[in-house]
Amino acid sequence: MKLSQIVHKFGCTVYTKDLYDPEKTIDFAFCSDLMSDALMIMSTVKDGETLRDSVLITGLTTNQSIRTAEMLDVEVVLLVRGKIPAEPVIELARESGIVLLGTNLTMFNVSGLMYQEGIQGISLHK
Amino acid sequence: MITLDRHFVIVPNDYNEAGKASSELKRTLKRMGFSRDLIKRVSVASYEAEINIVIHSLGGTADFKIIDDIIYLQFIDCGPGIPDIELAMQEGYSTANEVSRLNGFGAGMGLKNIKKAADDMILVSDCNGTVLKLKFYIREDDKNVG
Repeated sequence: MKLSQIVHKFGCTVYTKDLYDPEKTIDFAFCSDLMSDALMIMSTVKDGETLRDSVLITGLTTNQSIRTAEMLDVEVVLLVRGKIPAEPVIELARESGIVLLGTNLTMFNVSGLMYQEGIQGISLHK
Repeated sequence: MITLDRHFVIVPNDYNEAGKASSELKRTLKRMGFSRDLIKRVSVASYEAEINIVIHSLGGTADFKIIDDIIYLQFIDCGPGIPDIELAMQEGYSTANEVSRLNGFGAGMGLKNIKKAADDMILVSDCNGTVLKLKFYIREDDKNVG
């Protein structure tokens, strides 16, 4: 899916407009509110391209969702359930080169809709 | 030859600043042109260790060094220490409080994840504090990639 399709279909707010590339492709996703789990699972992915083409879906609106994405080379974070990030969080996303999006959809619903569109989940690579 | 030597103070319970040292480390390693895989392993381990100090300790420090072809990370905190290291190393075991869980941590995966990422790990702890030393070997194919 192109990032522009994600934004359009899921009614996303783009919080980091200067970093937004509508043509960027998203092929993979991982969702969690626990960043420990995101770090554990996503760090097992060896192929850097996979992570760069991934979105981290979370309800966590703190700096830590941005830091976690940065550590993993994930370039897009999607906040769910209509959560609005504070300005310092948006600023950190800008500084870290992370595209920060938000949708009113719940984590389950947006994940299901993305799955229907062919986006694959990231699993633990042993 | 020493090519990196940085020192950071890590403040307990400061979730806004948590991860800043690891972010700076990651950006420095990127500028130095190392492979994405090496940078990711170092960054993830560093971030987990930094978060551990923020969540569990009374405060501490992080030191990052590169000497020749080895990246050294050292995290020291001033207590209260890990009562049972073997138990703390188990996946899913966590003593994190509600505040850290609200900040997305405390799944009990941190130390396990650090061990998996690093080439070498030494963890020593008593009631006076914890010392975590990590080593990452820079291989030829990790150099001049970025």
